[in-house]
Amino acid sequence: MRFQTGLILFLAMAALCCADEPLAGRWSGKVQIPGREVLLIVDLAHEANWTGSATLPGLNVKGAPLTGVAVQSPEVAFAIKAMSGPNIESPRVTARLADGKLTGEFLQSGNSARFVLEKIGPPQVEQQPRSSTIAKEFEGEWKGEYEVLGYPRKVTLKLQSHGTEAATADLVIVGRKVNNVPVDRVTQQGDFITIDSAAFGMTYEGRIKNDEIQGQLLQGPIETAVVLRRPK
Amino acid sequence: MFRGDPAHTGVYAGPAPRQFHRVKWRFATGNRIVSSPVISGKALYFGGDDGNVYAVDSETGRQIWKTKTRGPVPATPAVVNGTLYVGSYDGNFYALNADTGALKWKFATGGERRFEAKGLHGMQPKNQTIADSFDIFLSSPVVVDGAVYFGSGDGNVYALDANTGELRWKFKTGDVVHASPAFADGVVFVGSWDSYFYAIDAKNGKEKWRFHGGEDALIHNQVGFQSSPAVVDGVVYTGCRDAQLYALEAESGKEKWKIDNQLSWVITSPAVVGGKVYFATSDSALYHVADAVTGKWLVKEDGRAYMFSSPSVVNDTVFIGVLNGTLAARDAASGKLLWEFQTDASKENKGWVLTVERRFNVPMLFFDNWHEGPIVAQDRQLSVGSIFSSPLVANGAVYFGSTDGFVYAID
Repeated sequence: MRFQTGLILFLAMAALCCADEPLAGRWSGKVQIPGREVLLIVDLAHEANWTGSATLPGLNVKGAPLTGVAVQSPEVAFAIKAMSGPNIESPRVTARLADGKLTGEFLQSGNSARFVLEKIGPPQVEQQPRSSTIAKEFEGEWKGEYEVLGYPRKVTLKLQSHGTEAATADLVIVGRKVNNVPVDRVTQQGDFITIDSAAFGMTYEGRIKNDEIQGQLLQGPIETAVVLRRPK
Repeated sequence: MFRGDPAHTGVYAGPAPRQFHRVKWRFATGNRIVSSPVISGKALYFGGDDGNVYAVDSETGRQIWKTKTRGPVPATPAVVNGTLYVGSYDGNFYALNADTGALKWKFATGGERRFEAKGLHGMQPKNQTIADSFDIFLSSPVVVDGAVYFGSGDGNVYALDANTGELRWKFKTGDVVHASPAFADGVVFVGSWDSYFYAIDAKNGKEKWRFHGGEDALIHNQVGFQSSPAVVDGVVYTGCRDAQLYALEAESGKEKWKIDNQLSWVITSPAVVGGKVYFATSDSALYHVADAVTGKWLVKEDGRAYMFSSPSVVNDTVFIGVLNGTLAARDAASGKLLWEFQTDASKENKGWVLTVERRFNVPMLFFDNWHEGPIVAQDRQLSVGSIFSSPLVANGAVYFGSTDGFVYAID
């Protein structure tokens, strides 16, 4: 009897929780882009904060994180961290919940289109890979060089360890101009380190050996060897 | 003929509209138009990707005749002494009666093909040979002194008797020749996708010199002469996919200067007049004017989208097509935009191919590296009525084709 009471209480609280967060869930519908319907799937969840991810099948976007999620129920706004490029910002979404449907506007590259999303289940927010801690041997400044189609590039990588917190990195590539490459993620697995930049579509991956990192810089079709050494 | 004369100066007689007034007419074909119109008398001639060669009344836009080939015709005809000369993707080169469209003769080349390479432009699979969908033009002929000269996907530059179609000579290069040869002082000038630019003796087909452009063993993106040269005052001006605009001595092939466009193809054929070189780039979408003697930049303007169309200069105005479906008229001196014409397809902007600023909306175009990715992307790009065609200016009107399937007359 006591168990039953507890169960009923738990279910009631769960129901109350969901009733409080009607925006939470997996939402699916079509964005009415002229001449092309694009399927948009949005997962919105509320724990300590609102989080979410989005999938646009056919546009090569799967589980992209939502950024700047702002909820003032029944309204929600966010950006989808994907589909950006030179002079093109990530798509922004503004929507309002009414009659169980999420209706709003999808903005990309200055174009806007209406959509209606329906809730098709609980949220399945995709977890994004995060930076790891790094060992002391990786810490500090590294320098290297490479060449793309005859154009020389100089690389400076500064890796910062934050103890038990995730590491951070500054990556600067100097060619004809100075490129401060925004780093999304630093991950170390054994003697292997990976630096990712979504904005530049760039990854550096390398293995530390004899106080140098022997690796490859990957960017689009470019795969070039880059050895990073301590500055003299 | 293509670019107005055998030397390909890209200069046309005025007047030309400094302001946009109206679409005088537009002529519908069955497929996209990449070819540039040429005029002879009152008739306008051009090729269509529907396989037809067309003659249209330049005043009314009414069809005079059409003649079917067995492949797309993204080449610009030459009309000389009542005969029209043009090549087709069916691998044949045609001579037609300019008044009636009747076949006078045709010549079978070794067959057409597009430039291709393994892992082209970084597409996957890396070890698979992939044809280049941006190799979009066929070589346009130049006709001089009873001979017709053109390049072919079979790698040859051909010289045929203009009256009979008999082969005078052929010159073998190492890859596709889709650039259009220019002619000056008894020499045929043309570049090949083998990364070399050639000067060939027009009499006997012997090589006078060759110039080596850039190479790109990694992804074959920065290689090949797709641009057609202009020859003015003993200097050959040509763009290259290695992102350079070259000025070469016509006599020796020695490099006088080059302009580095930082990995952005120079597909346009430069126009040269009054000591200035007019050209544009693809990815960086820049419209340029440079000093013809020194190569110093005089003007650099944002063109908003890729430009494959070649600039046409008429007095103080320059016209150029843009792949976002607009025709731009610019002031020759300042490079400033005077007016733009936008195709209906560009205004519709299906699938958000363009941003609101009419730049290419890359995330909505190129989103995979599969070998068919760029072909699909190009199909989307061309849906906005892209203007590959180089504008012809005659009788106060501007004529050009669009991938929306229309040829336009604007005055």
